[in-house]
Amino acid sequence: MNGKIVKNEQISTGHFLLGVKLPESFKTPMPGQFIMTREPGRIDPLLGRPFGVYVFESSHDEVTVEILYKVVGKGTLLLSRLTEGNFIEVLGPYGRAFDIYPEAGKVIFVCGGIGVAPITYLASHYRRLADARDIELICYYGASKAENLVGIEKLKKICSHVFISTDDGSHGFHGLITERFSADISSYDPGSSKIYACGPRSMLKQLSELLAENPASCQILMEERMACGVGACLGCMVLLKDGEGRGGYARVCTEGPVFNIGDINWG
Amino acid sequence: MKNAGPEMQVDIGGLIIKNPVLTASGTFGYGREYVPYLDISRLGAIITKGVSLEPRDGNKPPRIMETPCGILNAIGLENPGVHAFIKEKLPFLRQFSVPVVANVFGETIDDFKKVTELLSESKGVEGLEINISCPNVKKGGSIFGSDPDMAHAVTREVKRLTDLPVIIKLTPNVTDICLIAESVEEAGADAVSLINTLTGMSVDIERRIPHLANVTGGLSGPAIKPIALRMVWQVAKRVKIPVIGIGGIANASDALEFLIVGARAVQIGTANFINPCATTDIIDGIENYLKRHNIADVNDLIGTFDEEGKSC
Repeated sequence: MNGKIVKNEQISTGHFLLGVKLPESFKTPMPGQFIMTREPGRIDPLLGRPFGVYVFESSHDEVTVEILYKVVGKGTLLLSRLTEGNFIEVLGPYGRAFDIYPEAGKVIFVCGGIGVAPITYLASHYRRLADARDIELICYYGASKAENLVGIEKLKKICSHVFISTDDGSHGFHGLITERFSADISSYDPGSSKIYACGPRSMLKQLSELLAENPASCQILMEERMACGVGACLGCMVLLKDGEGRGGYARVCTEGPVFNIGDINWG
Repeated sequence: MKNAGPEMQVDIGGLIIKNPVLTASGTFGYGREYVPYLDISRLGAIITKGVSLEPRDGNKPPRIMETPCGILNAIGLENPGVHAFIKEKLPFLRQFSVPVVANVFGETIDDFKKVTELLSESKGVEGLEINISCPNVKKGGSIFGSDPDMAHAVTREVKRLTDLPVIIKLTPNVTDICLIAESVEEAGADAVSLINTLTGMSVDIERRIPHLANVTGGLSGPAIKPIALRMVWQVAKRVKIPVIGIGGIANASDALEFLIVGARAVQIGTANFINPCATTDIIDGIENYLKRHNIADVNDLIGTFDEEGKSC
């Protein structure tokens, strides 16, 4: 669908917040789903870029979707140069969404780098549930350095506890977020706690090792280069442990991007 | 003009389709994924993802890499195998009024024969596109398509076992694609489709490793259109059987270029990734062009290229 950019603000070095107004008929993304953006008429870069949803708001005749993104290559660099008033194509929402557990006692979010964006959308969804029920929301958020930490204020409004780490120690705990999380892991009862994670592959792999005893309690968001986004081209595959169904590979755009942490073969 | 619009029907080698726009193998799955985005019954035909005798897992990721105006792919012909195709994928497609052409792949001539037999017996397949050109697998595939004799042999053996129209899909990774085209025509092919992807690669300079786990992949997208167009033009002048044009077609203008140089029909592939409605937009665009130019039948446009450019 064609949308109009209402903001594209730099919020930190290399990090931007894009807001797009779309027609009211654009389907509300569920937490974990993604959208793809393209500049209308541009064939280079050719492919749309997939992003997790950060914020989604509806009013009676239009909706606004926000994505928080980092400039990592050609597509995101050109995206960062678009301005208010420019048109942008938004496709989706695509993919499998997170399972939501209204009966959970504690919900723990673990995010690394730009993974904070889709996790924030999930957390705000839980915030609305938590207001009516007794669910505690806790977030662990790490980045390589302080200037790569974004959206902390928003997280603090949603979660009762936000623990920060940086690899270089420029803010919060000095070390990896998985190290910070592992210090608290024994206080989370796998029966009543649910964990959600999104971040670099190395972070997710370490988390899967930490949770080897209770992998069922954790869902993650995977990422892979995408072309079609709808499950037709078989380009965005991830290797599963079981080898069931698709002969070992699953489509991040269709069977994912949400997976149970125990299902992934980290290699 | 017949009724309200121009005649769009074309004959692609014994299979008559309602318009000259088909989906390219590997870019449209088995149709299901695109149903929410367009009315697939409007398509001239759907060419399925390649079907092999046994299921294939496909290549290790990463399988795709974007390049300027294009994409490299090394999917590895992942598919559930012919038995699962017939049992699970075909019934879904049969509910739509669009002809299904099954793309067939084999590692040996025997594989081609077995899959051909099984598909010819099953309901719902109206044509076969024989993939002798995939450059992504280490044995079979490109070997057949780069040798006129092997291409001839596959065509001959497949034709013996089926009454379905047989389209041979040609690889551009050869010295002279016209030789291959002539050879398969001689062997009895009902039509040829070209081009398949061009073999290419991309390198991650920071880590000094390939961007594709398979190292090389097939290039598709707008970047390859000039090469595809040139090959279609050359082949269409050399063979009498219908030529189906493939390669970087993103919109109706692109499709019309192929029809004008002699393609009887076109396949749309990579464009589906950037516009799920690319195929139906192209059908509409071709119709509009014909109306604008007062051409009553698309067949009157096909092959009307004036290569000496005299008509002004």
